[in-house]
Amino acid sequence: MSETTSVRSNGVLQLIDGKKYRGYLEAGETGAAFYQKGKSEPFVEWHYTRIHRMDNIRRGGTTTQTTVILKDGSRYIFDLDYGLKVYNFMDGHWADKPVTPKTRGDELKRLAELRGEKIQVPKKHLITRRHPNRSIAGDIGIYLMLLIVGFAMVFPLLFLVGSSLKPLDELFRFPPPVWPQHPTMDNFSDLFVTMGQSWVPFSRYLINTVIITAVGTFGHLVIASMAAFVLAKYDFPGGKLFFNVVTTCLMFSGYVTGIPNYLIMSRLGMIDTYWALILPAFAAPIGLFLMKQFMEGLPTALIEAATIDGAGKFRIFWSIVMPNVKPAWLTMIIFSVQSLWNTSAATVIYSEAKKTLVYALQQIQAGGIARTGQVAAANVIIVAVPILIFVFSQSRILETMASSGIKD
Amino acid sequence: MQKTQSFASRYMAMKRERFQHGLQTAKKNRGCYLFLAPYAVLFFTFFILPIATSIFYSFTYYNILEPARFIGLQNYVNLILQDEVFLTAIKNTFVIAVITGPVGYILSFLFAWFINELPKWLRAVAVVVFYAPSIAGAAFTVFSIIFRGDAYGWFNSILMEFGLIEAPRLWLTDPNYMMTILVIVILWMSMGTGFLSFVAGFQGIDKSMYEAGYVDGVRNRWQELYHITLPSMKPMLLFGAVMSITSAFNVSDVPRLLCGYPSTDYAARTVVTHLFDYGFSRFEMGYASAIATILFLVMILCKKAISAMLGRVGA
Repeated sequence: MSETTSVRSNGVLQLIDGKKYRGYLEAGETGAAFYQKGKSEPFVEWHYTRIHRMDNIRRGGTTTQTTVILKDGSRYIFDLDYGLKVYNFMDGHWADKPVTPKTRGDELKRLAELRGEKIQVPKKHLITRRHPNRSIAGDIGIYLMLLIVGFAMVFPLLFLVGSSLKPLDELFRFPPPVWPQHPTMDNFSDLFVTMGQSWVPFSRYLINTVIITAVGTFGHLVIASMAAFVLAKYDFPGGKLFFNVVTTCLMFSGYVTGIPNYLIMSRLGMIDTYWALILPAFAAPIGLFLMKQFMEGLPTALIEAATIDGAGKFRIFWSIVMPNVKPAWLTMIIFSVQSLWNTSAATVIYSEAKKTLVYALQQIQAGGIARTGQVAAANVIIVAVPILIFVFSQSRILETMASSGIKD
Repeated sequence: MQKTQSFASRYMAMKRERFQHGLQTAKKNRGCYLFLAPYAVLFFTFFILPIATSIFYSFTYYNILEPARFIGLQNYVNLILQDEVFLTAIKNTFVIAVITGPVGYILSFLFAWFINELPKWLRAVAVVVFYAPSIAGAAFTVFSIIFRGDAYGWFNSILMEFGLIEAPRLWLTDPNYMMTILVIVILWMSMGTGFLSFVAGFQGIDKSMYEAGYVDGVRNRWQELYHITLPSMKPMLLFGAVMSITSAFNVSDVPRLLCGYPSTDYAARTVVTHLFDYGFSRFEMGYASAIATILFLVMILCKKAISAMLGRVGA
C-alpha cells in the first residue's frame, strides 16, 4: 500500500508569466505538490476533494509525467515537460492554459504583511554539503581518482589528435612529444591526396558508409519500435518468450554469428550488396531491448483512452506512442550509428567501390609506418562523428538508459 | 484405474482449455503479430537461424564447395584434443575475460557512482570522458603508435628517458608483453553501454530513500552503497553484466589490429580470431561452427551464473 501512495517526477514548472522553476512534482494520497529544487516547503499544491481521493498513480513515460486516477474515475496527467500541463480525462482535453498557482511563500508573505511582520530570508551557505554522511577525505579521494583515471582515459584520444596535427619531423622525434609544437593540417591534406590517387575516390567510401548508416538506422528505428510497442503494451501468447530470446541474443555479437550469417546471405544473394550490412542492422537486439523497456514506462492510460476513442493500433503507435519516446529514439540512433559507422564489412562486401570508410582506413594503415600521420588524421575523422553525436544527445540517452535494467 | 483416467482426462481438459484460451487471446491480438512480424522475420533470419545453422554444422565437415558430411562429435574432439592453437586461444580469451570482464564491470560501476556525486555540468563532461573510448571504434589503433616497438614509440621513449630500460622493447610483437598490453587497451575501452546504464540508474534512484537512510543511521557511503544503492540497481547490474560478458568474450579486433593476424607464436590469438581463421581463411566451416557453439554455451552459462549471484546482492 505504502509503495503506491506517492510518486515523484522531476521537471520544470512554467508559470503563466513565463517564469520557470526547476524541481519535482510529488503526487500523493490527498493531493499533488510541486517542490522547487532543494526546498522542503511545497511551492504550489493541489488538493483532491475528500470524496475524490486518489485511487491510483503512476509515473509516466517520460520522467516528467505523472498520472493520477481519482476514485470517481477522473484522471489527471501532470506533465512538467512542457510547462505544467494538466490533462483531464473527464473533458478529454489538456487544460488550455497552464495553471497559475499561488505559492505557499506568497501566502505566508501576505499573512506576515497583514500582521505587520518582516519575513526572514534564510542565509545561503557558500558551500552546501549535499550528503550529511560523507567524509571530506573520501570526497577528495574520489575527486583525485576521477581526475587521474579521467586523464588516462582521455590521453590516448589526445595523443591521436596530437599525432594527426604533427608535421613529419615531429612524428619521428626522440623523445616524441604528445602535442605538436608546430601543429599543421598537412596530414589531413595528404590523406585526401593519397585517397584521391587511389582507384576508388575517398568520397566514395564516405558515401558508402553514410548510406549504410542512414538507411540501416532509419529502418532499425521503425521496425524495432513497432515490435517494441506491441511487446511492451500488449499481452499476447509468445510475446514474453520472444523478448526473452532477444535478451539472450544481446550477448551474441556479429563476430560469433559471422560465419553462418555469411552462408545465409550468400543463399539470399545479398553478398556484395549494401543489404548484407543493412538488413541485420534492422534487427539489432539492443535497440529493441532498450525501446521496449522505455515504452513500458508510458502510462497505459494514454493508450486505453486512445483505444476507447477508436484509434487503431497503428495510429496509437504513430501519433501517440512514438512522439512520447523521443529520448529512446536518440538512444537507438546513436547505438545503431555507432555500430554501422564503425563497420569494416571486409567479409561480406568485396567490390572496392562498395567498401566502407573504416575498411579504407585499415588499408592506409597497412601502408606502414610512413603513413602514421595520415592514419591518425583518418582516425580523427572517423572517431569524431559518434563522439559528437553522443555529446549532443547525452541527456536524452541517459533518460532512456534509466529504464535499461533486466528484470529477472 | 478409473480414478487415474479421470484425473488424466481432467488434466488434458485443463491443458486444452488453456490452449483454447491462448488461441483466443492470440486471435484478439492479431494486430500485435503484424507489428512484430517485420522484426521477427529479420531477427529470425540473422540471429536465430545463424545460431541454429552453427550448431548444425558443428557436427559436420563442411568446406562450402562439397556438401556437408556428418562426422558426429569429431570437430569437438579435434578442438579439445589436437588443436594446440585453440587451447592458446581459449587460455587467452579466458585470461582477457576473467580480467577485463569483472574489472571493467566493477570499474564501470565505481566510476558511475563517483561521477554521480559530481555537480551536474561536471557530470556531463565526465560521462563523455569515460564513455568516449568505447564509442570511438577504431581509435584504439592509436595504441600502436603509443606502444610502437622502436624508440619513437611514446612508451618506449618515456621508459628510456627515465632509464628504466636501455633498448626499446617490442611491446606488440613480443609474446611476453602482448597480453598485458591487450588487457590495458581492452580495459581502456570497457566503460561501454553498461557504464551508461549505471550512470542513468544512479540518477533514477529515489532521493527520499537516501534521506530515510540518513535518519536510520546509514553512516558512510559504503553502507549507503550496500544497503540502498545496490538493491535498487539490480536490473541495471544484470544488464551491465550481460554487456560486459558480451564484450569480454568477443574480443577480436583489438588483438587483430594491434598485434597482427596471426600474431607472433599465436600469443594474442582469441577464440573469435581463431574462429575467423578457420571460417574465412581456411573455409573449414564445420570446425569454425564448433568453435562458435562452444562460445555460445560458455556465454549463456556465464549469464546464468551472474544472475544467480546478483540475486543475493544487498539482501
